[in-house]
Amino acid sequence: MASLPPIAIPGQRLGPLSTYSAGPGTHVQQSFIYASIAGPVVADPAQPKSQTRPTLRVSRVISSKDQASSNPAVPAVMSKPRYNTLPAVDSIVLARVTRVQKRQATVSILVVVDESATQSQDQSRTASDNDNVASILTSAANPENHSSTDELRFQALIRKEDVRAVEKDRVVMDEMFRVGDIVRGSVISLGDQSFYYITTARNDLGVVMARSDAGNMMFPVSWKEMRDPVTGTGEQRKVARPF
Amino acid sequence: MADRRRINGPPGGTRPPVFASLQESSTGVANRAQRQRQPTELRKIFLKTGLIPTASGSSYLEFEPSASLAAARSNPKSLIPPSSALKLACTVHGPKPLPRSAAFSPNLVLTTHVKYAPFAARKRKGHIRDASERDLGVHLETALRGAIIAERWPKSGLDITLTIIEAEDDRWWGDAPDSHDASWGMMNVLAGCITAASAAIADAHIDCLDLVSGGVAALVSDDSSQSASSAPRLMLDIDPAEHRSILSACVVAYMPARDEITELWLKGDSSRAALDKNDGRTGHEALIDGAVDAARGANTVLAEAVRESIARSFA
Repeated sequence: MASLPPIAIPGQRLGPLSTYSAGPGTHVQQSFIYASIAGPVVADPAQPKSQTRPTLRVSRVISSKDQASSNPAVPAVMSKPRYNTLPAVDSIVLARVTRVQKRQATVSILVVVDESATQSQDQSRTASDNDNVASILTSAANPENHSSTDELRFQALIRKEDVRAVEKDRVVMDEMFRVGDIVRGSVISLGDQSFYYITTARNDLGVVMARSDAGNMMFPVSWKEMRDPVTGTGEQRKVARPF
Repeated sequence: MADRRRINGPPGGTRPPVFASLQESSTGVANRAQRQRQPTELRKIFLKTGLIPTASGSSYLEFEPSASLAAARSNPKSLIPPSSALKLACTVHGPKPLPRSAAFSPNLVLTTHVKYAPFAARKRKGHIRDASERDLGVHLETALRGAIIAERWPKSGLDITLTIIEAEDDRWWGDAPDSHDASWGMMNVLAGCITAASAAIADAHIDCLDLVSGGVAALVSDDSSQSASSAPRLMLDIDPAEHRSILSACVVAYMPARDEITELWLKGDSSRAALDKNDGRTGHEALIDGAVDAARGANTVLAEAVRESIARSFA
């Protein structure tokens, strides 16, 4: 097995297709794997049941695991978080509700949650593109920041029948989402020219952050209710199960 | 198209008058820029990525100024700089959602804008993109489209904007326009745009087949004797201000790892090239090969700049 370069640049030959299979950030030409983005080369070991060859990928971000293997002495220094992952089918996204209609809710996608980052054990220091999720969400939940940046974000729809898995025909959109809520959803389709389609029909999907009519952040009390800690009034939402 | 939104200067430009007698006597031929480099020697390139924090990718490129500029600075004879060297900045924005009116696209939609700063050339440019700028944008888009793996970014757009801060001259500023005149400086600008845009795209982590770089080669006849025996010679990476007469020039966008050309622009008459007797190539083949060699040279700088960009973002 030929040695892999630690860092690849686009167009750099990484290895033959007979030894590796091509992962993200690479492309194949004439049975060789080439890098297609610049970044550290990672060889994921072969999973015994599914595949026979290790997968070669070029990482967009440096994960804590890669960092530890390359230079264990140096602690992980967070680079400036930069985010350019596109929503794909089955990816988990955080989105803000921009419009609620009778049959659908329009949301704008704030961030695509990095699957690999959530799976790793070391939750506190997973260096992902989405390091600033907290700051993105708090600024997005703030009413002043609405609508100014919506044009730059990907738009998505939550249709009435995609809100929850049971009693789909009794869904009332006004009791599920309000404008300004932050929703965790799963992408079901790339949709049409302008909208992605998102579902919240799972226990862990739904509203994660919401403000009450009084303007206070609410906490979830059940799968369909959130409560304002100041006034004590409850409001109806399709609530995501908290971790 | 007239620019009605701004108060513009006179359309013809406002250069100070330079009298022919002045050139002949004091500055004259001696002040004319001469090529100090070997025919196959390229100018040094400065290329750095990530200078514009708000863009998802950016780069800045600069060509080494010719030796005559340094000489003129140390011993000024005229207020007019003898030559100019390319300086440009490239920003990449995206991938971002397409505008609402756009149709569904399963691929990345690439848009390129090339704009000269008003002060970039000796003749001032307007604020609205003119025909040559649009032309450069189309050439650049062709060059990059062949390198980007567009199907990895469905439903999204990528905006590439190049600002030319200092353009190359089309000829020595003191020369009167002649028959061989064409916008030779534009070809150098295009080569620089391709290299800079490639660095910025790599900086933005957009999937590419390879780093694509631009190179220029030209057939020039430099002899002041103007004798018929002096056949034009092949030079790489020309500075048009350093040559009396450029017969033809060629720009390529070249991907070295795949040995592919994504963009080819050849201009002028390449039939009279002075090649070796046992060189079986025709003039334009030699010209294209020369441009590819120049692009290979630029690619070494490009690769190093991209490595620096990773080292910075992952350090």
